[in-house]
Amino acid sequence: MAEEYVVQMKGITKVYPNGIAANQDVDFSVRKGEIHALMGENGAGKSTLMKMLFGLEQPTSGEIWVNGEKVSLTSPSAAISKGIGMVHQHFMLVPSLTVAENMVLGMVPKKSGLFIDGKKAVEITREYSEKFNLHVDPNAKVMDIPVGMKQKVEILKALVRGAKILILDEPTAVLTTQETSELFKELINLKKQGYTLVFISHKLNEIMEITDRMTILRGGKSMGVYETRDESPEKISRLMVGRDVVLKVEKEKAQPTDTVLRVRDLEYVNEWGKKMLDKVSLSVRKGEILGIAGVEGNGQKELVDMLFHLNTPNAGTVEVNGESILGADQRRIRGKGVSLVPEDRMLYGIAEAGTIEENLISDRCSEKRLNHGMMFDMKAIHDESDRLIRDYTVLCKSHNQQVKMLSGGNIQKVVVAREFSNDPKLIIADQPTRGIDVGATEFIRKKLVELSRSGIAVLLVSADLNEVMELSDSLIVMYGGKITAYFEDTSELNDEIMGEYMLGLKHQTPEQIRGVCHE
Amino acid sequence: MNKRRSLIFSVVRGAAAIAIALIVATLLIFASTNGAGLSERIADTVGSLRQLLVGPVFRNNGTISTKNLCDVLASMIPIVFTGLATCVMFSANQFNLGAEGGIMLGAFVTAMVAIYAPLPAGILPVVAVLVGAAAVAAMMLIPAVLKAKLGVSEMVNSLMLNYVVMYLIKYLMNTFLADKSKGQVQSYTFQDKALLPQLVDNGSKLSWGFVVAIAFVVLTALFMYRTRWGYAIRMIGINQDFAMYSGMKVAGIVILSQVLGGMLAGMGGGLEMLGRYSAYDWMSLPGYGWTGITVAILAGNNPAFVPLAAFFMAYLDKGCSLMSTYANVPSQLIDIIQAVIFLFFAAEQFLARYRQKLVVRSAEEELKEKEAQAAAAEGSVK
Repeated sequence: MAEEYVVQMKGITKVYPNGIAANQDVDFSVRKGEIHALMGENGAGKSTLMKMLFGLEQPTSGEIWVNGEKVSLTSPSAAISKGIGMVHQHFMLVPSLTVAENMVLGMVPKKSGLFIDGKKAVEITREYSEKFNLHVDPNAKVMDIPVGMKQKVEILKALVRGAKILILDEPTAVLTTQETSELFKELINLKKQGYTLVFISHKLNEIMEITDRMTILRGGKSMGVYETRDESPEKISRLMVGRDVVLKVEKEKAQPTDTVLRVRDLEYVNEWGKKMLDKVSLSVRKGEILGIAGVEGNGQKELVDMLFHLNTPNAGTVEVNGESILGADQRRIRGKGVSLVPEDRMLYGIAEAGTIEENLISDRCSEKRLNHGMMFDMKAIHDESDRLIRDYTVLCKSHNQQVKMLSGGNIQKVVVAREFSNDPKLIIADQPTRGIDVGATEFIRKKLVELSRSGIAVLLVSADLNEVMELSDSLIVMYGGKITAYFEDTSELNDEIMGEYMLGLKHQTPEQIRGVCHE
Repeated sequence: MNKRRSLIFSVVRGAAAIAIALIVATLLIFASTNGAGLSERIADTVGSLRQLLVGPVFRNNGTISTKNLCDVLASMIPIVFTGLATCVMFSANQFNLGAEGGIMLGAFVTAMVAIYAPLPAGILPVVAVLVGAAAVAAMMLIPAVLKAKLGVSEMVNSLMLNYVVMYLIKYLMNTFLADKSKGQVQSYTFQDKALLPQLVDNGSKLSWGFVVAIAFVVLTALFMYRTRWGYAIRMIGINQDFAMYSGMKVAGIVILSQVLGGMLAGMGGGLEMLGRYSAYDWMSLPGYGWTGITVAILAGNNPAFVPLAAFFMAYLDKGCSLMSTYANVPSQLIDIIQAVIFLFFAAEQFLARYRQKLVVRSAEEELKEKEAQAAAAEGSVK
């Protein structure tokens, strides 16, 4: 019965120009009038798949059928004309315009063909708002309304444009608990009125609560379609976060000694009032790798930002070798022997238009050994950069090559070479191998283990379960801004246990978690 | 893209920008001639173009004119300094437009020292120029500190500051400092011992300031590419977040770049005064700061290329003034020609397709090379 499907995507493959295959032969079908979950970890290819359904990206191969008709969705307006609407994770609204004005943007009602009919816009907004029980204030400016209402405006915007199929991209990511339950009521109401909803998420409890069926993606491939009521959360988590190929890294047992990094009761509430860090306490000792596992967006990024003063916490303490580094500038933090491999290497990690050499010396350019009085000692600098290029096998023509000409893996090697080489006491490695090739990944992982065994404390944050489980000596899991589990020994862990903690199905007692403080 | 290809691209792009500007200039000159017949107008146009293109070097009889050439070199001095100032500030991604007011203030302060300071010969001109430079460095603290501490746009601030400086100087001149015995508003004459010695004695006013200018090109280039502060300025210009994360004192360097820029602009104004004038009489902004911005952009913010760009601008200026003297073409034309060149240089997308072609070709070659290497490696394994 092909007619029961309003959307069918068959054999979709998408290869981006940079060579990353985001989707491989994915089938995705949605029945009329259902709430269908699209699940998967970050980078599993959910957003790419939905971007193709909304006409933002074109598939490399594969077919898309809407209402039993093969379509070519070359732009969002083509998708809208087929009755597909999308509510983006980051709202696409004009903050300085009113709700009503945003609603009619691009389809403005006109008075005598020339002037904007503001009254009509308000009327339209009221009408839809009541019809779908989504209450918004048509005359309020978008910048003045709360996040929950912004989302309603987004949903109404899609409905006004005649959408019958709504794609919601992680709609609860920015919402508070109350706003989330309100949203769910509204979504069920929409479903009753015959609308079809695609719900992108990686939050298991939400999926279990409101969806009818689900498609699970992992590493760009479909792991199958399941009826929500037939499946257990445990099975879903296994399907989502299971491991593929395991890169083995040989390592001896850790012999941790003194505490290097000591974090206590760190708290942070972000600009939208969401608590991103909730009493986070941990210690990292000399000679060990402490891993932080967790689905992205559960406070890991915020934690790292606090440690390197890229952001400021509301409460708590951070000490390195007994001295507080909270509020210190990066020069002082680095002076204490802290290195950071940043999550976003293009933002913090490198100066793209600079040469490899300029990128390698940025943290040590003032050191005596690289200067002759006022002037740079160019020979010492060339020697230093050539040595690092050789030691870290950066594939390049010379140290004068621009960093932006290198591949992702080699750019990361430049970052790592700099951060690992200036006699660090503590290395914070945030997603150190994300999006880079296997060779560079293996190299960086080996280097991390080697450095930790030489007596350096390593804090490893990674959304790659493979990586944290393989590299870490002990491990914590973060969920919802809290540490929810601590494992002293990682050797007996498996994907299933990890999945349950990572998706918030289980958590340990405060006493067990306190173990990571080593007190 | 490899170095050779990007150099080729820069040269082709520069030449194309100049060629287009000249075509536009030719059309404008032709339109502004008022001969009787077509042939007469064409002859006029050719004559004008001759003045514009070769006039600054050759006399009408074909011999080299040292005087004209020295004029060109002399007028390079202020724009080399404003060009360097702009290079330093733009390299740190600070769009400070204060070189214009800076050169005026530097000239004014230097002039005052040259008139009133009781210092011995030899020391007086040096002190006068340094005091001028220091005054402008202090002036630049205003936009620099406001930017670094409060995030106020340095572009708007420095731009407005130019007019504040100009009117302040006008007020001081009109009210207190003018030599009332002169027919126009100007200061008393400088002490003779303050004047810079001339390099060539042919009335061109090419002073030792030119040598100082070239020395400062070298110093600035060394500073930018061979010291940790210049390095920090450039890294902040490329990626401020990276610089901060690396442990550089971003706010301090942002201030430093603008203070140094001010110092250079002020020095340019002082040398210009003592080299080519005998009394201060600038009552409006001299325009060298604006030209300095063009120079810096033509030089791609690299101090080493500033003399070339400054020579080009000075040459164009001289050519246009010769053209207006001998060939009856309005000198305002220079503004149009400059604008056209500027437009094409500044337009990122100009010849972007040609650049893309070069990039693709480079990438293809690299791939082939890699394949060949891989094949060779395989061969050796077998």
